Amino acid sequence: MKVAMVTGAAKPDSIGHEVALRLLKEGMQVSVADLYEEGFPSLRQCTCLRCDVSDPDSVQAAMDAVISRFRRLDVLVNCVGGSWGITRKDLLASPPLGFRGLTNCSLDDWRTIVAANLDSVFYCARAAAPHLKKQGGAVVNVASVAARRGIPPGSEGSSGPYAVAKAGVMGLTRQLALELGPFGVRVNCVAPGVIASGRLKRVMALTGKERGPEGPLATIPMGRVGTVDECAALIVALCTDDTSYMTGVTVDANGASYAA
Amino acid sequence: MPLEGLKGRRALVTGAASGIGASIVQRLKHEGIEVLATDIHPAGGLIAADLTDADDVEKLSAQAGTPDFLINVAGGPAAPTRSETLPAIPGAIALEDVKEKDWNAVIAANLTTAFLVCREFAPRMKARRFGRIVNFASIAARRGSDRVGVHYAAAKGGIIGLTKTLALELGPHGITVNAIAPGFIKTPRIAAAEWGNATPAFINSLPLQRAGKPDDIAGVVAMLCSEAGGYVSGATIDVNGGWYMGP
Repeated sequence: MKVAMVTGAAKPDSIGHEVALRLLKEGMQVSVADLYEEGFPSLRQCTCLRCDVSDPDSVQAAMDAVISRFRRLDVLVNCVGGSWGITRKDLLASPPLGFRGLTNCSLDDWRTIVAANLDSVFYCARAAAPHLKKQGGAVVNVASVAARRGIPPGSEGSSGPYAVAKAGVMGLTRQLALELGPFGVRVNCVAPGVIASGRLKRVMALTGKERGPEGPLATIPMGRVGTVDECAALIVALCTDDTSYMTGVTVDANGASYAA
Repeated sequence: MPLEGLKGRRALVTGAASGIGASIVQRLKHEGIEVLATDIHPAGGLIAADLTDADDVEKLSAQAGTPDFLINVAGGPAAPTRSETLPAIPGAIALEDVKEKDWNAVIAANLTTAFLVCREFAPRMKARRFGRIVNFASIAARRGSDRVGVHYAAAKGGIIGLTKTLALELGPHGITVNAIAPGFIKTPRIAAAEWGNATPAFINSLPLQRAGKPDDIAGVVAMLCSEAGGYVSGATIDVNGGWYMGP
């Protein structure tokens, strides 16, 4: 039986949560690494591990726990991320008001956001790589349309450091694809646009319905936000043989908002 | 767990007589999709049509009705004609050896076909407020090519522009439009070309260290037609074993 690990999956209205449930339906053993322990009861069929993905020791401990229990790892999905709600003390906080660009964010904002969105993927990939290389497998990272075009000043709920960190995730995807390809490990990335997750609801509760974190929703050519189901299905497809010859690729899922 | 949103749908696949197109037909049928297949090369179960000819496209549309999924595979580095429907793929072609006749024929076979077929079927998809269009670009359009000639690379670059523009135009009507850019996919016709037996050095330079198979492409088509492709539009998906990883 294949074994998967998903980070950032404990919040029931998140993309990661739906990914974990769908990987179970694919017949995999699924472990979840997250700080949000309150969400663990919603993932009873998964092995839930408290993990701070911005701390390499915490990541290694979670990986050790997965390997000691299941003896292998086939799939790693890095869903954890965001501009807020990413440390234990503000997990359930409302998004901070105001635009945090590169020129006006605090150094603490920069470090926290880059740690959660980029360092985390590096730590998880390094901890997973020796196990993935044994029999081959797949890594899927989650970037953002923000990595493609930046965050327009005035946007609420997202940030400049987030856009930069997510662009780093796309670069990490390519580098890791080169290093792991010869071992039969594919590494790809999904760059979602505005997705109707709990995170979006919490932003819209503050800003009104017409604005999303990446700019006005009216500018999306498909005329709607994406669903968590669509985004999770795409991530899962990148874990399966349907995408057997894809590696190093970022797939944009943004309703035609930005074509790379 | 099968891909969601495929069973019971209808698809039209062009360029379906061999290679990638034939593999897509098999995969979509396997997913429970009713598939209509067409090619200029007459073969069992296919509707024969020259899709560079608007009259043929109109005749095809009378038989094909309204597909949910439109998969435009027709094309290739060698343009077929009604008398030579599966031409051999030539060796590497230098700029000065591309005759105007060949330029026009390759642009028509790869780009005009997709334009005419989209123009014919998109209005019906709009009326239904649902559709998925998958066009075929190539790695030749993404990184350039030292094999297939400037006409093929330019035509496939045109496919990417057509795809992005249709994604913007048809998005408000519930239709997604994407392109797949295959890398070195070893179909029988490619294998028969002068450059078709890639050197071990080339294969080993690919991160996945193997040539692609038609089934590797068919899986991505199925993904784009399924729930997983619902919010993907305007994208060019590189399927090349890591040869080129996107712009």
